[in-house]
Amino acid sequence: MSDLELSGIRKNFGDFVAMHKADLFFEAGKLTALLGPSGCGKTTLLRMIAGLEAPSEGQILLGGKDIASLSAEQRKFGMVFQSFALFPHLNVARNVSYSLRIAGVDALTRRARARELLELVQLADKGNNRIGELSGGQQQRVAIARALAQEPVIFLLDEPMSALDAQLRNDMQMELRLLQQRLGITTIVVTHDQREAMTIADKIVVMSQGRIEQVGTPQEIYHKPANGFVASFIGNANLLDGRATNSGVTLGDTHFAVAERGGFASGDRVTLFCRPEAVRLTEVAPSGNALKGMVTFVRDEGIAREIHLDTGAGHIIAEIPGSFNETIRIGDRLHAEFPVETLHLLPARPAAGAA
Amino acid sequence: MRATQPAIPFTVARLFQKFVVLVLAVVPFLLVFAISFGEKIEGAAWVWSFELSNYKRFFVGADYPNSVSFLYLKYLWYSIYYALIASILAVATAFPFVYLMTRLSRRVQTIWLVFFLCSLTFSEVFIVMGWDILMSNRSGLPMLFKESGLTDWLKQTGGLDIMRDWGLATPRNVRFKPSEFATILTMTYLVWPYAVILLYPPVSKINNEIIEAARTMGARPATVVRTVVLPMVRTPIVGTILLLFVFLLGAYVTVAVFAEPAKHTLSISVYEAVRGATLNAPFGSAQAVILLLTAAAILFFGRRFVSHPEGR
Amino acid sequence: MARLLSCTFMGFIAIWIAFPILVVCLAALNGGRTMFFPPEAPTFDRFTEFFLTEEIWVRSLRNSLIVAVGSAALAVLAAWPIAYGLWRRADWASKLLAGLASMPFALPPIVFGVGLVFFWGYAGALGNLWSGIVSHAILFLALPLTTLSIGLQSIDRAHLDAAATMGANEATTFRTIILPQMLPFTASGFFFALVLSFNEFIVVFFVSASGYSTVTVQIFNSLRNGFTPTMAVGAITFITVSALIFSLIARFGNLPQLLGADSRKPS
Repeated sequence: MSDLELSGIRKNFGDFVAMHKADLFFEAGKLTALLGPSGCGKTTLLRMIAGLEAPSEGQILLGGKDIASLSAEQRKFGMVFQSFALFPHLNVARNVSYSLRIAGVDALTRRARARELLELVQLADKGNNRIGELSGGQQQRVAIARALAQEPVIFLLDEPMSALDAQLRNDMQMELRLLQQRLGITTIVVTHDQREAMTIADKIVVMSQGRIEQVGTPQEIYHKPANGFVASFIGNANLLDGRATNSGVTLGDTHFAVAERGGFASGDRVTLFCRPEAVRLTEVAPSGNALKGMVTFVRDEGIAREIHLDTGAGHIIAEIPGSFNETIRIGDRLHAEFPVETLHLLPARPAAGAA
Repeated sequence: MRATQPAIPFTVARLFQKFVVLVLAVVPFLLVFAISFGEKIEGAAWVWSFELSNYKRFFVGADYPNSVSFLYLKYLWYSIYYALIASILAVATAFPFVYLMTRLSRRVQTIWLVFFLCSLTFSEVFIVMGWDILMSNRSGLPMLFKESGLTDWLKQTGGLDIMRDWGLATPRNVRFKPSEFATILTMTYLVWPYAVILLYPPVSKINNEIIEAARTMGARPATVVRTVVLPMVRTPIVGTILLLFVFLLGAYVTVAVFAEPAKHTLSISVYEAVRGATLNAPFGSAQAVILLLTAAAILFFGRRFVSHPEGR
Repeated sequence: MARLLSCTFMGFIAIWIAFPILVVCLAALNGGRTMFFPPEAPTFDRFTEFFLTEEIWVRSLRNSLIVAVGSAALAVLAAWPIAYGLWRRADWASKLLAGLASMPFALPPIVFGVGLVFFWGYAGALGNLWSGIVSHAILFLALPLTTLSIGLQSIDRAHLDAAATMGANEATTFRTIILPQMLPFTASGFFFALVLSFNEFIVVFFVSASGYSTVTVQIFNSLRNGFTPTMAVGAITFITVSALIFSLIARFGNLPQLLGADSRKPS
């Protein structure tokens, strides 16, 4: 089992920079998610790891050895494709044992291995079926079994759930996570779905416009986003522009105290960040950090209610537990309280506003 | 970088194969072009040369300036005349058919396509044979006209005289061949399945929803065809006419059988010069080059016509 | 009403296309030596003559078959590397090559025929059966080139990436992924070329140089003496071969896709 390390890697397509120079470390046996909106360079990064795309610059180190000059067929990292890329002219078992066949493994071993893998993905009885006879979920399992057949050192998945409908996606995310933990294989998954990344990953790499925005565990990414982009890409976020002071932050004429001021000097332009579920709504003015505002929208999601307020410092969202007796209506005037320990200061957003 | 290079001998074999294809596909045309400048030796074959006498002969006759002959220009004119009328007729009648056909189920479409492919590949010699039987005086349509009394009726009403003026009747009965009518009819028939096959892809891409959308906005079927369907397939229609035209420029059997000798085309005279009675390869080549240039010119202007729609 | 009108129109078209073909075919039944329609004294004697007893027809048919099968096979073999290069690299050189290779089919065949007379004349092969085969292979190269290109377009490039991540190099991918999926398109290209070569007249008329004759050339040569019912048997044979082959292509391949219809939703 070896770690995978990217060092000073960069990719251009002509003038277009698909991936700015970056370093990344993938720990052996862990599942890492590459997360970002479409066109952020995550698939390019995965394809460079697979050997399907040559980096313009930089090293790819597997267990300390540079493999950047090896082709995809020499690396043999198993990969699951967005469209699954199952071969329509081969049946399920032959798809699964394809890598063994071209490696010259004998037919008996091939068949045994195919059966074993199909059992692993709970499709033991489908070996002789044609690809077109399978449902989307079954096809995805075949694609996973096929990529694992060659016992790859690194297991790569490119948007593996995007072709599945919502319910199936939830089930397959859990299944994939359990399978990966059982096999203990170093896995890299590309996704644009933050919920999916949170569900399956040990570590998340958030990317945007060819740059790596943050690397961390799901908890770190969610609760301590590095910047406004990460904060708003992962879940909902309240982001308010202000200036750092010695004890906190000023938002127009209001002053908030914060627990941690980070590295900002007094007078720096900053963005104040708070998750909607941390915001409390009260009818009487509370003593701590608070803003007064008017309700502009109410979204009832059953388990929770999302209340949108316009305040003097900007538009904010509060998420409160759902309840049958709740009576908040559009036009109500409420106070939004921001508990001091839930507030973080982030670098000021670019003028146009990220995300 | 991603693929290991194939073995060198394999690459060489592939390059050689491509080279051979290139030679066989291009050199014959180059030879025609080069030989068109050659010189015919009286009573013998011909020699390489570089003179324009063959082209001069084509445009003004061999004996110019003592006398002028436009015989070959006339052949060229008939080549263009037959081909243009037949290709326009074929597309004009095939288009509504293809439109109706593409609205049918995929299965029925496939059956129609098989039918047209059979007729498309059916050799020109057989098609000419079929129409020849149909139009011959001893059987087919003229006999049908006579037996059914249609001929007598035509005689009484004076219709036969009008047909005689058009060259389609003798004093006793209708007579369809040889005539321009028979030539153009057979040519139209010859390219009709080609028109279907060429129009099929663009027309099958006309989405039913677009038509329904136009109808929900109040367009009647005729208006839909005029304002939505035709503009969408304008380019393929002109393109198809051009392709059929180029194909028909070289039609040989039809003209040889159905056209009066005075109204023969360049392809007949090319054959006569290269392989037939007169045996003058350089002059035959010059005529072939002119046929090619005509095709190229029509294609060029046709494309311009398509790419510069009116009002721009 | 509109439906009735369109059905009538389509029916009329079917008759217009089918009628001359039927006339030729039925003429084969004539008992006498002259072509009549409708046939007089129907008999099947003409079939025995065409296939068995009259040497001139038997030999022509054999030549037609040799030229058609040989040239179609050659055309497919020549088209594969060109189509593959065009698909894999799509650079200007492969586009130019594909364009030039399609030129003989796109231009008036009589001009290509004239050129071939000179070409084979210099090669000293004019009137050889094999030069006829090569001529037709080049003339109809555009057909397998087209079907193969359509087929290659429909191959999902992710399949190639998938094969690569499983250890397949370009040659293995070609053998195990591309070739098996391309079999229907290869066969279609072969049969399209075969049928067209079988029916082709003008080019083989030029390059055979009276050295041999195919059925179409033989029929044209007999034309001056008037049509005979035996020739109509040839017509029946040819239309049957076409119908059989195109039905097979339609049955085992996707004919609308091959002819360029929108193939996103095959049914």
